[in-house]
Amino acid sequence: METLLIVDDEAHQRMLYQEELSDEGYQIMLARNGKEALEKVLESTPDLIVLDIRMPVMDGLEALGKIIGKERNIPVIIHSAYSSYKDDFMSWAADDFVVKSSDLTELKRKIRELLNKKKAEK
Amino acid sequence: MKKVLALILAGGKGERLYPLTRDRTKPAVPFGAIYRIIDFTLSNCINSNLRRIYVLSQYKSLSLGRHIQLGWNILSSTLGEFITVVPAQQRINEHWYKGTADAIYQNIYLLQKELPDLLLILSGDHVYKMDYMEMIDFHLEKGADVTVAVVEMDKRLSREFGVIGIDSDYRITEFQEKPDNPKTLPTRPDKILVSMGVYVFDTEIIVRELIEDAKKDTAHDFGKNIIPAMINKNRVVAYDFKDGKEDAHYWRDVGTIEAYFESNMDLVSVSPLLNLYDPEWPIHTYHGASPPAKTVFDESFGGGRRGAALESIISGGCVISGGEVRRSLLSPNVRVDSYAQVEDSILLEGVWVKEHVRIRRAIIDKGSEIPPGMQIGYDLEEDARKFTVTESGIVVVPKGFRSR
Repeated sequence: METLLIVDDEAHQRMLYQEELSDEGYQIMLARNGKEALEKVLESTPDLIVLDIRMPVMDGLEALGKIIGKERNIPVIIHSAYSSYKDDFMSWAADDFVVKSSDLTELKRKIRELLNKKKAEK
Repeated sequence: MKKVLALILAGGKGERLYPLTRDRTKPAVPFGAIYRIIDFTLSNCINSNLRRIYVLSQYKSLSLGRHIQLGWNILSSTLGEFITVVPAQQRINEHWYKGTADAIYQNIYLLQKELPDLLLILSGDHVYKMDYMEMIDFHLEKGADVTVAVVEMDKRLSREFGVIGIDSDYRITEFQEKPDNPKTLPTRPDKILVSMGVYVFDTEIIVRELIEDAKKDTAHDFGKNIIPAMINKNRVVAYDFKDGKEDAHYWRDVGTIEAYFESNMDLVSVSPLLNLYDPEWPIHTYHGASPPAKTVFDESFGGGRRGAALESIISGGCVISGGEVRRSLLSPNVRVDSYAQVEDSILLEGVWVKEHVRIRRAIIDKGSEIPPGMQIGYDLEEDARKFTVTESGIVVVPKGFRSR
């Protein structure tokens, strides 16, 4: 079973992801901020990371740089309410950028795409 | 007018220049009596009207930082101009710069802050005079994604450089890093084109390339990884370096003690390849408040003392008191005492050569005191017991040497 690490500071967002993405057949790990995400990545390598940007303690872009420094092969999707972060150079280090919406269809599609691509590269 | 940001890579260890790099990074090594190596690159920027400059430092950066703080506080922050030294901060990840490309990647937030159209990436390790604006104009004219400055070099030196192959339109088709069998010029089989480590990049294109490279297991180096990866998918062109003086194309890596010594000695010659006296292209540096240079004694009787300097470069604050200096470079505040003889040598700041000392073909680093009667450069076996002696017999006395 493929494992996703979901990083978001809002509890109800995490619940929503947990429910919807478990239904898709993924195992879900959760982190509340960039720092927790980094710890989780070091603990057990997930197959893909869904990363919010605006979070307390450590934001998503800082976490992204550090994650690439440690585990450069995990695909990362930035999932933020603010499309303006697309202008931030560091956000270009993510494999994809999905603007948040209550409908998770696009996010699910991108997750599948990146996981398939990763499998194909192996 | 395109917005250009200059980034100077100044983290070089300069291991082959040891012991001159024992206490300082290579760009901070003194050169030409009153300069540091980085002064040439910084002066090129200022003379090219580029006044937004980051200097990326890493190893042994104290001496470099101090020099820039004291000598280069010449721009106007009110006008948005700056020369800022940025030490390695481990802001993006937790290691030092792994290569030249990693040094820029780890400072990606600086680019974010400035958002330049073009990035001029330079090395603080080289001695040359160059108008970067001409290269930038060429980059725009050619519609290039990347432009690499190149200079002609003898084929036998290929193992020290990145060798470049171009087509008839200056497009780079090959980039060989330190090859044994280099691609030579079509018209001159004894010559090669080498990269000067001077690059103009379209900012967005290079940022994407740097991120791509950061995710791979490479040496994270412009010459080894970034440029070769871009040749096939981007428009990468070569810019033929000109320095105004038609025949010279003076560019020196001064990477070894030998090269360092020769480049300095060239300045003493009648008509040096590198002209420091061009009012159109001043080389700036830090000037302390030294008194004027002075020679003392001209006793005409037999055995009398004569203070004299011939075919030499003598800086402020030097006192040549009863000794003789020939074909040498004296940095500020050097003292040469009675009956001492200095020939074909480089004496760095504050060196004190005492009575009856004889020195030839030597580099004496800052603040050293050579005790009365000592000989350096006359018995190389003896010198090698105390000092670094190169293959060609140049003796290097390290910074702060005392006989005790």
